[in-house]
Amino acid sequence: MNEDYLWDKSGEPDPEIQRLEEILGPLRYQPKPFATPTNLATRRRRYFPLLAIAATVLLALLAAGIWFRVRVSHNSQPRQANVTPMPPPIEEKTPSREIIAEDSTPASPAIRNNKPRKRSTALKQRDREEALAAKEQLLFALRLASEKLNLAQRKTQGTPPANQIKNQHRVG
Amino acid sequence: MKSLFQTNMKTPLLAVLLVFATAFVARAQGSRIQLSSLDHLAAKASQSVDVTIDERLMKVAAKAFSDKDADEREVKKLVAGIKGIYVKSFEFDAEGQYSAADVESIRTQLRAPGWSRLVNFTSKKEGSLEVYMLMEGDQIGGLAVLSVDEKEFTIVNIVGPVDLEKLARLEGQLGVPELGLEPTKPKTKNEKN
Repeated sequence: MNEDYLWDKSGEPDPEIQRLEEILGPLRYQPKPFATPTNLATRRRRYFPLLAIAATVLLALLAAGIWFRVRVSHNSQPRQANVTPMPPPIEEKTPSREIIAEDSTPASPAIRNNKPRKRSTALKQRDREEALAAKEQLLFALRLASEKLNLAQRKTQGTPPANQIKNQHRVG
Repeated sequence: MKSLFQTNMKTPLLAVLLVFATAFVARAQGSRIQLSSLDHLAAKASQSVDVTIDERLMKVAAKAFSDKDADEREVKKLVAGIKGIYVKSFEFDAEGQYSAADVESIRTQLRAPGWSRLVNFTSKKEGSLEVYMLMEGDQIGGLAVLSVDEKEFTIVNIVGPVDLEKLARLEGQLGVPELGLEPTKPKTKNEKN
């Protein structure tokens, strides 16, 4: 048996090897250009919308978390703000109970040095003062209008006829 | 076609909207009386009161009323629809400090369409007291009270719907003493001595 045939196909081949060659021949390597499977590419693209949705949801959750935190801290400000000694209430005879109730809440000393909260206290205080001043003015105006209306009513009901007024003279 | 419609119809539509907006504002301001012509009286007056509560201040003031107190709840209800209250009141030490033109500047405005005079009380001794009301349909759209005597000039203007009955009942409520506006009879020579 010539073994050169097995190395470089030279010499006389062995019939057994030829038979095996014929059987396995179709399975030999055939060079062809590399092609990416089309289904693989589309499968990758499908992940992008999902990723975008996930990122949006994540961002929304993050934003909601920040907003909620800010809101909670903002809501808690009025309670903490009342640490600073409040000036005596302005000359309001019947101040609103809701307004007074806001002042009665104690605050923790840990937050006394919080400047933004102090500022909000000042704003709150200013709003309250404005509300009370407006209320006082409103009450005065209403009272005046009420008095004038009643006065008009009394005068129209109690006024004697015009002739009588003309003919009346003060005695003495 | 669409663009043609847009360009041709945009201007008239805006004009119509502007007209409606102007009418709305005019209607809202209809019962507001201009009181600035009386400002010069403040310098002559021994005591003057100037109350200007616009719609924003009305809302602010309404917040200060408690819902728990019955009286305050009533007042809150009364002022709920009111858009503004304006008061100018002057008291003088001497007579003749204001002119007939000052009074007329107010009366002229109250002669405008819509306004009707409910009360007109006139007396040589006690001056005059006039109550005007602006009707908007079935509803009261505004109120004006003009009170004038030798040493006093007062005008109260309420803008917006107001319940006259409730307003009249306010006198002496809420722990605020009455203003004592009933004119006191002038003292005679004997009383002075």
